[in-house]
Amino acid sequence: MANIELLLLFLLASGIVSYFLTKWKSFVGSVFTIFSTMFVFASLAMYGFSGQLDTTVNVIPVLSFAQTNIGFYFAIIIVFVYLMVSFFHPYFVGEYKYKNSYNVMFLLSLAGVIGTFFADNFIQLFFAFEFIVWTSMLLIPMGKSKKAAVSYYGFSAAGSFAMLFGILVMRSVSGSFDIDLGLASLAGGQATLVFVMFLVAAFSKLGAFPFHIWLPEAHGNAPHPFSPVLSGALVKLGAFVAVFAILRIMPSTPLIDFANSNLPHIPLGQYAVVILGSLSIVFGTLMAIKEDDAKKLLAYSSMSHGGYILVAFGIMTSQAVAGGFYHILAHALASAGAFMAIAAVAKQTGTTKMSELGGMIHKMPITYIVYLVAIISMAGIPPMGGFISKWLIFQAVIDKGMIFVAIAVFFGSIGSFLYVFRPLAALFLGQELREYKVKVKEAPFLMLLPMLIITALNVYTGVIPSAILNFTNGMLVDLGLAPVSITMWDIVGTTGTLNPALIALVFGFGVVIAFIIFIVLKKSKKVTLMETYTAGNFVHDEQLLHYTKDFYAPLERLYIKYTTIMKEFYETLAVKVKEIGRFGKYLFMNKFIGTTILWIIAILLFLLVGEVL
Amino acid sequence: MKSTKFTPERNISKAETDRKWWEIGDFFRRNSLWLLMYCTGCCAIELPPAMTSAYDMERLGMGPMATPRQADILLVSGYLSLKTLRRLIYTYEQMSEPRYVVALGSCPINGGIYHDSHAVINQLDQYVPVDVYVAGCMPNTEAVMNGFVDLMEQIKNKSANGWKKYHDNYEWYRQNQIQSLGEVDVHDEFHD
Amino acid sequence: MSITILNFLIGLGIAFFGFVLQTSIAGLNRKIVGRLQKRVGPRWYQEFLDIFKLLSKRATSHGWIFDFGVIMALGGIIATAMFMPLTSTFNAFGTYDNFFIFVYLLAVGMLGMAMSASGSGNPWASIGVMRALTTMLAYEVPFMIIILTIIKIAGSSLTGIQLYQQAAGNNWFLIALPLGGIVGFISLMGMLGKKPFETYIAPAEIASGPMVEYGGKQLGMLFIMHEITVFIEVSLFVHLFLGGATNIFIFILKYFLVYTLANLISNVNGRFKIDQVVTFFYKWPLILAIVQAFIAIYLGWVI
Repeated sequence: MANIELLLLFLLASGIVSYFLTKWKSFVGSVFTIFSTMFVFASLAMYGFSGQLDTTVNVIPVLSFAQTNIGFYFAIIIVFVYLMVSFFHPYFVGEYKYKNSYNVMFLLSLAGVIGTFFADNFIQLFFAFEFIVWTSMLLIPMGKSKKAAVSYYGFSAAGSFAMLFGILVMRSVSGSFDIDLGLASLAGGQATLVFVMFLVAAFSKLGAFPFHIWLPEAHGNAPHPFSPVLSGALVKLGAFVAVFAILRIMPSTPLIDFANSNLPHIPLGQYAVVILGSLSIVFGTLMAIKEDDAKKLLAYSSMSHGGYILVAFGIMTSQAVAGGFYHILAHALASAGAFMAIAAVAKQTGTTKMSELGGMIHKMPITYIVYLVAIISMAGIPPMGGFISKWLIFQAVIDKGMIFVAIAVFFGSIGSFLYVFRPLAALFLGQELREYKVKVKEAPFLMLLPMLIITALNVYTGVIPSAILNFTNGMLVDLGLAPVSITMWDIVGTTGTLNPALIALVFGFGVVIAFIIFIVLKKSKKVTLMETYTAGNFVHDEQLLHYTKDFYAPLERLYIKYTTIMKEFYETLAVKVKEIGRFGKYLFMNKFIGTTILWIIAILLFLLVGEVL
Repeated sequence: MKSTKFTPERNISKAETDRKWWEIGDFFRRNSLWLLMYCTGCCAIELPPAMTSAYDMERLGMGPMATPRQADILLVSGYLSLKTLRRLIYTYEQMSEPRYVVALGSCPINGGIYHDSHAVINQLDQYVPVDVYVAGCMPNTEAVMNGFVDLMEQIKNKSANGWKKYHDNYEWYRQNQIQSLGEVDVHDEFHD
Repeated sequence: MSITILNFLIGLGIAFFGFVLQTSIAGLNRKIVGRLQKRVGPRWYQEFLDIFKLLSKRATSHGWIFDFGVIMALGGIIATAMFMPLTSTFNAFGTYDNFFIFVYLLAVGMLGMAMSASGSGNPWASIGVMRALTTMLAYEVPFMIIILTIIKIAGSSLTGIQLYQQAAGNNWFLIALPLGGIVGFISLMGMLGKKPFETYIAPAEIASGPMVEYGGKQLGMLFIMHEITVFIEVSLFVHLFLGGATNIFIFILKYFLVYTLANLISNVNGRFKIDQVVTFFYKWPLILAIVQAFIAIYLGWVI
């Protein structure tokens, strides 16, 4: 039996051990990190699926744990991403300035993850949540930019404190921090307040509109092996909070309900979430299309996929919620795979800017395949996992007849073809640039291994989803929703039946036929990439034949001038906050110490009077 | 291992089947000739009537194509200066095989009115093999169409072998090209 | 239902039938366009000659992704065509002909072709792919809104949608949702790459875009892929808006009429710029689609 408390203690201890091991030799410390993460994952996976995790507390006095289906689902996905990413550490950690603390922070944030998802009361959840924020905040600045960490922390802190406020409101109503009790006791105006506060937390963690500014900054500038964790795993914390807010709190808002039975029957609050989710999808898609940095592009795609998850939860039918849960898994795998492929390229070339890269496929074919499968899943194309979740979400959107949400959902789905293809064309395909012809080689085996595992899982989730959907059905029952009807091979939606395995089989069949046609025909003559049609001109420079800059220029022209609105809003807000801060500083911190003391006494008096009243 | 049964000799039969396949291929090839037009000279003016309703080359299955990879015929319409010959050779080498060359006008035959120019080559045949010449300065459109039909006949008779000749006598062609042009691939065109 | 090898063979037969049908009709259409321009026009089987000629030539290859992309493209499109019902009673995989399969499995083929084209290292190819994807972003959204309306009314199985329209008392969706029919047809023009929206081939502008580096068998396979893609797209229109077909002859007739109409409209039009395509589709077709969806779903006015 795996004890949660022991796992936490184990992670703390191995964090300390890894500090010294990494200090001695970074490779050894990183390998130790891999084994620690693997131990945690293995013990969770071995006992968790049957619900046999030991949640008793023997050593640490205050804590208490519980295993829920939803918590375990999130935990196993996130721990899995952590495990996969830890394989990258031996090759990356040595380069960082504070390499010994990198592994420590990584393991500690994993401890925070376990603490969050197995917490059985809100205050413990909050502290574990904050613990993740703090440890990951220390990891991000080891990448390219220190400012990114500030942005990340700013938004995360806003979210955390909003959540803390919501928790305290709940405590004042129910008298305890217990999760089920607290959520059940809410009613009326307090329910609305807690709903909004939790949503602020969820949105700011998911990086959904309007709290999306930190996402590209943090994802794009984080250390290469940490970006997959941020996008594939930690963003999903927002989805976890969103489950509490959207599906378990029912603020007393009117239903959008008319005589016509075709109209969406959704509470107004949830409908607002759906609309904001749709806006995230559209904004994320448009921003991703114009982005030049591959990691920032994927970060904006995370924002767009966060929007899908919010739309799914907001619609609240069992299909939609199942789609949302499935999307969490599919996107975690796809996003981790894509980020890891980009990290492998960045390891070889030292850049993630697409305009500086080209033709990586010739030296890194396996990395290319990993990226290809990941983006097929991300774009929601069969036979990968993303198709199943998007199909379920589409079913729900169509069933509810939400036209404007449908525009966003379909726009995001087609738009994702555009942005995921950009790195494929510019970074992996195209001309092989001269500076990468010699020194670039395929990523080492230890890095390929996790990428291939993720690729296999991307295919598995798209071909045989029934086992996972059975698990999410259990979660739906916990939430009081009807389970989605599935058989071994079929998923039955409201408007049709889907057989993912059949699609995959037919696709394979078609490819075999095409391959036979290809192979019986005359063999083609091999030519180099530079021998292309140039209208009779002699071009000897790869750069001149490589189309990467402003890839979607004609489309970008149509909306480029509106892209900075949100950023400008936050910049103005930051200036205002700084001004207030300066004013406060002027009041408190002038050169007469007496003024400061006067103010402190005045505030204390004010508080005391407030307490007396 | 030798079989006791009678087995027909495989080499002959393979050559035979290859020939059969080649004849079938020739049927398709001569009925669907796609042009890559190299319109530098004045003979190009004869092509619009050949394509549009007056003569309608599409009824023979012919039509213009965008790039050398897709095309079957390289249509040289008129004189070739040294600068354009270079590009012609580059384009010809990019075409997929079998490929044919049709030359319009008297300039590719003997230099035509530019026969004494220092910048214009006189005989295209020295640099790339030409399958069909259409003489005249300029040839009228019936003659152009007749040239295409001639090429189809040649494909049927298996005498449109310019592309094979280019393979077999590559050294000779290359030598001629270098002698006239200095270098075929220009290396500083965009100052890279 | 249980799936046996027979279903696969029927599916393959449908794909092959689609190829033969579309290739013949495309040849006939070249003849019709020829007559429109006072020409004789090619033989009706000219498209077959072109394809087999390409397959007989010796091609050039730019590396493994160039070939692999072509195989993936043709494979994906054949797989998509295998799901396509021909009439309301005849298809390969029963009720698994879900609409979303056609949109998203088609995308696999497109992705394969885009990958292969970019893998050739020619900038025209990348520009062509960029234009194709941008056009896709333009036409797909209004189309999907109309599809949402249809699925909301009749379910997402193509056979089901046909049967719904054929049932007594129901009209074809072209009549029942007239605005939707218009949007559907404009989107179909975009899908087929017919002329106002032919931005991504544009032979005179970007040297036939994605196809720039293909010759020989790869180009031939892409032609086959193109024919089957057109088959899928036009059949979708027939099944969604024209009430499908009860037997194969009605299907062929409707198919011929739709394709010929699209082709005729194409031949009297010029070409849009790529940003004009996007702004066009996000103006009138999208507004019409939203109005139609609103009328049909919220007001319930379906004739």
